[in-house]
Amino acid sequence: MNIEVTGAKILLELPFGITITETQVNMWLVMIGIAVFCAWLTHDLKVRPTSKRQIVAEYIVKTAENFVTGNMGAKWKWFVPYIAALFSLAMFSSLISLLGMYPPTSDLNTTAGWAIMTFVMITFYKIKTNGLGGYAKGLTEPIFVMTPMNILGEFATPLSMAFRMFGNVASGTVVSALVYAALATLNNAVFGWLPGILGEAAEKLPILQLGIPAVLSLYFDVFSGVLQAFIFCMLTMLYIASAAEKE
Amino acid sequence: MIVASGTLDFLSVNVWHILMAIGNLLILVLILKKFLFKPVQNILKQREEEISGAYSKAEEALKEAESERELYREKLDGAKAEADELIESASKRAKAESAEIIANAREEAAVRRKHAEEDIELSRRKAAEELKGTVSEMVIELASEVVGREIDEKAHKELIDEAISSLGE
Repeated sequence: MNIEVTGAKILLELPFGITITETQVNMWLVMIGIAVFCAWLTHDLKVRPTSKRQIVAEYIVKTAENFVTGNMGAKWKWFVPYIAALFSLAMFSSLISLLGMYPPTSDLNTTAGWAIMTFVMITFYKIKTNGLGGYAKGLTEPIFVMTPMNILGEFATPLSMAFRMFGNVASGTVVSALVYAALATLNNAVFGWLPGILGEAAEKLPILQLGIPAVLSLYFDVFSGVLQAFIFCMLTMLYIASAAEKE
Repeated sequence: MIVASGTLDFLSVNVWHILMAIGNLLILVLILKKFLFKPVQNILKQREEEISGAYSKAEEALKEAESERELYREKLDGAKAEADELIESASKRAKAESAEIIANAREEAAVRRKHAEEDIELSRRKAAEELKGTVSEMVIELASEVVGREIDEKAHKELIDEAISSLGE
């Protein structure tokens, strides 16, 4: 039995070597879903709320604001939509695997893109706060010999963020595939010895595959997906806030 | 544009896909801003304004009520004083009137008494006069009868009258 673990399916090939894969399409679907959900939540808002919809919308906005300002400080209120977008996109991109679709977060390019955004902002705020000279000087501390290490450390941050999320989501897919295959083999082994037509029927029925993958999916798809989105946002906020602080 | 088949490797790096991931994230930021944060924040701001407006309105109303209460109290006090004054003046006037009435009555009574006294005096005088006349005539008659001769009425009348009036005093 062959188990094949691959990346996203390529759906379209455009000029200049641009390809559109499941990753992009599914992310667009997630974005459309979020946009429709938000538009539905916030249509017909009233100063005196009469609908549960509006209460949910206000709750989401306030929670996002508290989440960001609580971790970064009140002056970062403008940053709330970015974190909200990052969190919702990361979370639903992982959760989409519950529908049997390819999760965009198990594509390294996706998480790498977001991590690069974080890295760019970290560096921007470091330079903005300390000046270009101060930033360069900070790389040579505590002693000059440490400079290559420090530069590596700068790149380690986005790299670790990208691989953390990618690894968690992708490994969930891999482990799920492996367990599913193993259970199928076990299923054949257990029911295959049944005589005649009964055995053939039992072999085709995925009896053992019923329970365990669901539990695994609960962990890898739901828990891990939400947790990794949360961690990614937390790290982004903390790194950027500390980069903007004067040393 | 070719509809393609095949898959990416499990671990692949593609600059376009990285850029698209970043672009998608930024687009979602704009979507969330437009469809979630802007409308909700607008509503929250409006609500805050409405609440602060209601508060200031309530404060204003309270102040107004307070000043109105003060005004009414003043008015009430004024009315009380006015009523007191009114009662006082009325009672004063009543007193004055009654005094006047009494005085008038007294005066009138006095006038009437005087008149009555004068009447009485007049009547007495008249009676006395009449009596005088009658008596003097009687006396003259009597005397003439006694004397047997005519007394010259005219000559003696004065004398007799004098005698009577001195009697009648």
